[in-house]
Amino acid sequence: MPTTSSLQIGADDLAFPRLNALSYWLYLFSGILVGVSFFQGSTFAGGWTMYAPLNTPAYIPGEGLGATSVVLALIMFTAAVTMGSVNFLTTMYRMRAEGLRMRDIPIFSLSINLTVWMMLFAFAALLAALMILASDHVIGTTYFQFANDGSTLGTSAENPGASLLWAHLFWFFGHPEVYIVFFPALGAMAEIFQTFTGRRLVGRKWFIISMVLVAIQSFIVWMHHMFLTGINLPIKTIFMATTIGISLPFDLMVFSLIYTMAKGRVRFKTPFLFSLGALLLFILGGITGVFLGAIVLDYQFRGTYWVVAHFHYVMFGGATALIGGLYYWYPKMTGKMYDEFLGKVHFATFFVGFNLLYFPMFIAWETPRRVFEYPADLQIWHNLSTVGGFILGASMLVMFYNLFVSIWRGEDAGESPWKYASTAEWAVGSPPKLENFPGLPSYASGSLEFLDDEEVAERTGKPPGAGVAADGGTASDGGTARNIRAVTAPATPTAAAHETGGEGHASHASFWPFLVSLGGFIAFLGLSGVRTGSPVYVGMAAVGGLATVGSLVGMTRESFHAPEMAIAERWPFEGVEKMKLGMWTFLASDVVLFGGFIGSYAFVRVAYGWSDWHHDLIPAEHVTMPGLINTYLLLTSSFLVVLAMVAAKREWRGATTASLAGTFALGVGFLVNKGIEWNHLFHIHSEMFPNGWTLSTNIGSSTFYLTTGLHGAHVVVGLVICGYMTIRAWNGAYQGDDKPIEYFGLYWHFVDIVWLFLFPLFYIL
Amino acid sequence: MPSDTIAHAVGVPLHGGDVRAPADVFNSIFEVFLVLGTVVGIVVVAYTMYHAIKYRDSGSTDDPYADTVERPQLGEKPTGGTGGRKVFYSFGISAVIVVSLIAWTYTTLLYIENGPDESQAAIDAIEIEVEGFQFGWNFVYPNGHETNSLVVPQDRVIKLQVTSLDVFHNFGIPELRVKTDALPGQYTSAWFTASETGEYTAKCYELCGTGHSLMVTSVEVVPQSEYDEWYADTQSSGNGTSGNVTAAIDAGATTAVGGAPA
Ligand SMILES: [Cu+2]
Ligand SMILES: [Cu+2]
Repeated sequence: MPTTSSLQIGADDLAFPRLNALSYWLYLFSGILVGVSFFQGSTFAGGWTMYAPLNTPAYIPGEGLGATSVVLALIMFTAAVTMGSVNFLTTMYRMRAEGLRMRDIPIFSLSINLTVWMMLFAFAALLAALMILASDHVIGTTYFQFANDGSTLGTSAENPGASLLWAHLFWFFGHPEVYIVFFPALGAMAEIFQTFTGRRLVGRKWFIISMVLVAIQSFIVWMHHMFLTGINLPIKTIFMATTIGISLPFDLMVFSLIYTMAKGRVRFKTPFLFSLGALLLFILGGITGVFLGAIVLDYQFRGTYWVVAHFHYVMFGGATALIGGLYYWYPKMTGKMYDEFLGKVHFATFFVGFNLLYFPMFIAWETPRRVFEYPADLQIWHNLSTVGGFILGASMLVMFYNLFVSIWRGEDAGESPWKYASTAEWAVGSPPKLENFPGLPSYASGSLEFLDDEEVAERTGKPPGAGVAADGGTASDGGTARNIRAVTAPATPTAAAHETGGEGHASHASFWPFLVSLGGFIAFLGLSGVRTGSPVYVGMAAVGGLATVGSLVGMTRESFHAPEMAIAERWPFEGVEKMKLGMWTFLASDVVLFGGFIGSYAFVRVAYGWSDWHHDLIPAEHVTMPGLINTYLLLTSSFLVVLAMVAAKREWRGATTASLAGTFALGVGFLVNKGIEWNHLFHIHSEMFPNGWTLSTNIGSSTFYLTTGLHGAHVVVGLVICGYMTIRAWNGAYQGDDKPIEYFGLYWHFVDIVWLFLFPLFYIL
Repeated sequence: MPSDTIAHAVGVPLHGGDVRAPADVFNSIFEVFLVLGTVVGIVVVAYTMYHAIKYRDSGSTDDPYADTVERPQLGEKPTGGTGGRKVFYSFGISAVIVVSLIAWTYTTLLYIENGPDESQAAIDAIEIEVEGFQFGWNFVYPNGHETNSLVVPQDRVIKLQVTSLDVFHNFGIPELRVKTDALPGQYTSAWFTASETGEYTAKCYELCGTGHSLMVTSVEVVPQSEYDEWYADTQSSGNGTSGNVTAAIDAGATTAVGGAPA
């Protein structure tokens, strides 16, 4: 999927290849950790919504270590997703083929772009939720426990916001997640419709605007999953309105697809069959979704098969389009054609199976979810569903057989087996070469052409053979009716281009990302059991933690260069270098992460009673002074980073080193001061808190330690980087090139600004 | 409560049977949605299939629409096809249908949310606290009596205050179309009336652990007189906490909830 998309926009690789590797390995190890969790007694059993407090150790039978592992594995997965998102967005905004404005990129790539934006923010919110949950599991905070001992009656709850807090955090992620899954399918559907109807997407501009609207609105509809939780009528009304609002752009997209068929030359090949099928399923999913938009009906559909049927029509409907996409791009990926007859057989059985599986659920909608008993008169529908399920499953076997066997037996696909396919991926060989394109792709003339080295050199003023264009290659026009003005100059591969191309891609083989992920895996597996005090678990946590940090340092020290495209379309980020853009994107997700933590604090405090909170939960020993001192330390250190930049620009080595060292010292001062403060609070003996004020004392202490602790962890990371840079500055680095200091400064100022929010929230109000 | 006194003085007590039950509200709206949804579904699906089949490629080498539309070409910069106006008309129609349907249900939402507030039936309501736990239900009556299954009189407004003693549950009586979340540390409210006596079932609608499937209990709707008898028994069985309960709970008489003895 990302490959198709980077081909479509004309990028020769991802912006940060090593980050991509790291993301992949983290993803892999998160899966392994979930696998391991099954062997730790029992795994997590609270459903995909993981509602609180069923997700806390108090309500998990046995030791619950497997459940903790799952939570930690999800954190790892989320980290992988966030890295992928940062990488992908940077690629899209920095490495588009020349002449390709954002609105010009193919609709599938655009859908991926919006998907990734949603991922960046939605997964950051999920990360906040999971980190808080993990801290409840591992270090004993009490965010999601409504009463400390887990047995008190609801009426005397000490943290009445616990259960709702999780629901808010989860659905703030959960609703955008629906579109994260669905958008790529929508993009594939539109792409396939264009090719197999031989028509350009009708109302393309409005289709795009609709997608953008949906992506934005997806973050303001989450409470429609919580209509019965007792939220008040005005809020319900607002969320009813936003929910209906978000359904309207989809109407437009559906009609746009329908009218794209008009005056077309519709060919019912397998990819189109699946896309058309997906459209029909989505129409049914949409109509039954309107039922859920009427709150009075929604109340009764809650927890029933109506919901199950509806979201399968929407989400599995989306998957249907992705299967279409698989057939569509299969020749590109493998260079071979699949068997068309088997493809059609697959579609027929799939479509029948699908509807037989899910449609009866609408009729039997009164069946409660996740309950093994249901009224006897509904049995016939459930039987039909079961039959449908087997047919659907069997149909997938046909596909696996087809796609597997076709790798050997399939006919050669050529560059483009599809008439009317228009996007860039069909202009290169199948499967595409590692370097993606024969020359630097450009749309400057209005349609795709590939620039060779010499042309690029002429335009950029650099000598030819500097590796600016990607690998050279022979002209790609295989002959059919096509509009590429073939590569103008003789496109023979130059030795220099080969070298650079080779170098850029060889460094994908860095093994540090693997080691970082392996270390993280061991550390997390250890963390899942540290609360038992078992030396095995504690040892694993320590070893894994050290391994992670060590390999991160190794990764930083490894020299690595991913060449940027010489000529590319970069609106709206022409003036922002790749690293800086990556940093900004990462910080954007970090803002949401802190937003999740701060929002959680505000939420549980309001639920408790804003002013009672201070009176009931916070000891008199918790004073303002340490916070005030730390505010002063951090602000001063930010100032020093700026000085370091100025000094580096003017090539004053001593001043650069001194400023960085000063920053480092002030940061250490911040942590020491915090350490003293915490140590004091841990060990107070007052009438209210005879056993100290620790993480588990109450929800007040939990929020204080965890939120400021997350900030402290950011300071620690900053200090590691700062210390490393101080040493390098001493050895003469950065003179005349202050960019690395600027990137660090961005991060450090951000950490500072966060503190400016935390200080009043936790020390004054 | 002054309204209480006034209603009593006027002497035309509306009882719960005169109130539009949540079940009726749901069923009538659901019917309209089902009919409209089916019609719209058939029309749109047929319309889609009509386009797919009408414009199928005949296999001829001549493009029948060559003079009106341009075909996409490899390597072109993506643009939109002609015919966008139709998209807008169709979209407009669908938007009007959806928005007016939802708007129409909104008044009933207000009714379900607020309950039959101003009527005597509301004052005459019985307020019962519902506590969910792993894995069962606890019902607390106004006199402090606690049971694990629900007994309510026919044609009375029953107001529920629902909470949980441990994890997230959801209390629902499907036949009577009443449902609300049971959250620890929070109360949610719901109300219903039942015009027919008989045995109904209450279920949990949120996954709450291994025994979730077993979180079922019976809801008995009995005639008022039978209920009175049963309720009187619960009082004589001596639950000390019934401070605010009136001595007599006759049909149509004043309230048990927070009211002074009639
Ligand atoms: Cu949603
Ligand atoms: Cu349950």
